[in-house]
Amino acid sequence: MGKPGRPRRRTGLYRAAWLYRRCLGAHLRSTLEYEADFWIMSVTAVITQGIGVIFLWTIFRTIPLINGWKFWDVVLIYSLVVIAEGLSQLFTQGIWNLSWVVNTGGLDPMLIRPYSPVLQVLSSEVGMNGLGNMALGIGLFAAAVSHSGVSWSAWRVALALVLLVSAALVKIGLNLVTSCAAFWLRTTYSMFPFSMHRLGELTRFPLTIYSTAVQLVLSIVLPFAFMSFFPATSVLGHGAPVWVGLLTPAVAAYCLFMGVWIFRLGLRRYESTGHLGRACRVCEAGHLRRPG
Amino acid sequence: MTGQSLDARAAGRQFRAPFRAYRSMARMALRSLVAYPVSFVFNLLASAFGALAMLYLWRAVLRNGGSAIGFDWAHMKAYLLITFITGSLVSGYTDYQMAFRIRQGDVATDLVRPVDYQRARFAETCGFAVYEAGTAIAVAACAAIAFGGVPVPPLRAWGLFLLSALLVLPLRFGVVYASGLVTFWTQNYVGVQAARIALVTFLSGAFVPLGLLPEWLRLTADVLPFAGMASTPALVYVGHLTGRAAFTAVAAQAAWSVALWVLARAFWQRASRQLTVHGG
Repeated sequence: MGKPGRPRRRTGLYRAAWLYRRCLGAHLRSTLEYEADFWIMSVTAVITQGIGVIFLWTIFRTIPLINGWKFWDVVLIYSLVVIAEGLSQLFTQGIWNLSWVVNTGGLDPMLIRPYSPVLQVLSSEVGMNGLGNMALGIGLFAAAVSHSGVSWSAWRVALALVLLVSAALVKIGLNLVTSCAAFWLRTTYSMFPFSMHRLGELTRFPLTIYSTAVQLVLSIVLPFAFMSFFPATSVLGHGAPVWVGLLTPAVAAYCLFMGVWIFRLGLRRYESTGHLGRACRVCEAGHLRRPG
Repeated sequence: MTGQSLDARAAGRQFRAPFRAYRSMARMALRSLVAYPVSFVFNLLASAFGALAMLYLWRAVLRNGGSAIGFDWAHMKAYLLITFITGSLVSGYTDYQMAFRIRQGDVATDLVRPVDYQRARFAETCGFAVYEAGTAIAVAACAAIAFGGVPVPPLRAWGLFLLSALLVLPLRFGVVYASGLVTFWTQNYVGVQAARIALVTFLSGAFVPLGLLPEWLRLTADVLPFAGMASTPALVYVGHLTGRAAFTAVAAQAAWSVALWVLARAFWQRASRQLTVHGG
């Protein structure tokens, strides 16, 4: 353990980032106390997503192209979802505790600490399945890219990296937005954000297979398509106008902004324990229910 | 009144009392879902989105000229909707509560209750299943209408189909119950459950008809109880399993139901010895 020494005066963004890392670090240490959990969660992530890829492969055994998309193109789209999922689990898994924290009054201590409550909630857990997802996701991404026949110039590599990170931030922003339902729904379960998470998983496949209404929902209402499909089209250079995918960083900023804004709206409604004047559900397991 | 008949009546009462207990456990389980409709609806919605993705994906595959071992779009819709309904049975309430009580040590109370642990869980599962089946059928009916209707099998196929669909319950219970017991060793259940769902979904043919899998994988799913958890009733419904083959498949479902029940009981004997409850 390094001695913190005399803390320098930290201000603004730098202080926020430093505290975020410290919070995550503390939770990482407590998580690593349970070594078996770490292995179970990592292996689970690989099994779950791996089966998804086997499923894709099974379908493409019967057909070479789906709406003009080859197997490896779809794997690229799929891998972006897995990576976004992995990053959000590793760094912002705490958001899945929000309905528990809000509906049991657990937000109280967070409100009196001199640090943003949103960031405290986000950093309140490290999802160990994130490691499994990252490993598999990056492997799939690399395999898909090497089969895609895209010529890699320096700027395309840079573009791919920016899009990769922005795509994950879209996912994190949308997780935050949907989790804020905790302030309005009287349950300690994260059922609403979880069902929206499952809606987001529709973007593991090319957007063009869906009806117009579903496409509009996934690209405008809850723009999950910017987590995978649109960035992938920009990297591959086909499937949709390239400029749409280039909007990904802006969409990420928008989603994060909306998340923080709705969180603030929710905070105004927050009334501590017995929030909304109703006892919480007896079975506390609800706050554990989160995507594997 | 002779002593013998009194004994017989006492024995009868003894048998009836626990059955009444199981029945009321099933009723309570059903009520616990009805009492929190919002949570339940979102839970159902989550799995409905999965089914929706499959419907769109297969529509695209078939429109692009993909062949799916003799499935046309109408029959594929029917197949996917039936597997959606069977997949929503025993969707995770049973094992979730088990895991929670095992982790917390509350399972100690279950152990001293004068009811059989496995039967009690099955009774609750049946209670949950009434609600799960009701809502899933409603969702599937809406989806069927939205996607332009699905073919209905001839009347004479219904008997076998309903029997096959009913057998999904004990089969899924066997796997779900056994995976819940794993908590005695792992303490962690979120991971075990997610892995179990992924494996069962894929190997039961819920998303892709088993006939499309590579031969060795298809055989694995067919020989193990997985095919009976979704594929068999769905194939009977769409008319791909008829006559002798259908009867054999349904008989296999029944045999596996019994086998899983016995295996799970043996597993419980081992698992419950792992229990350590701190404090209290």
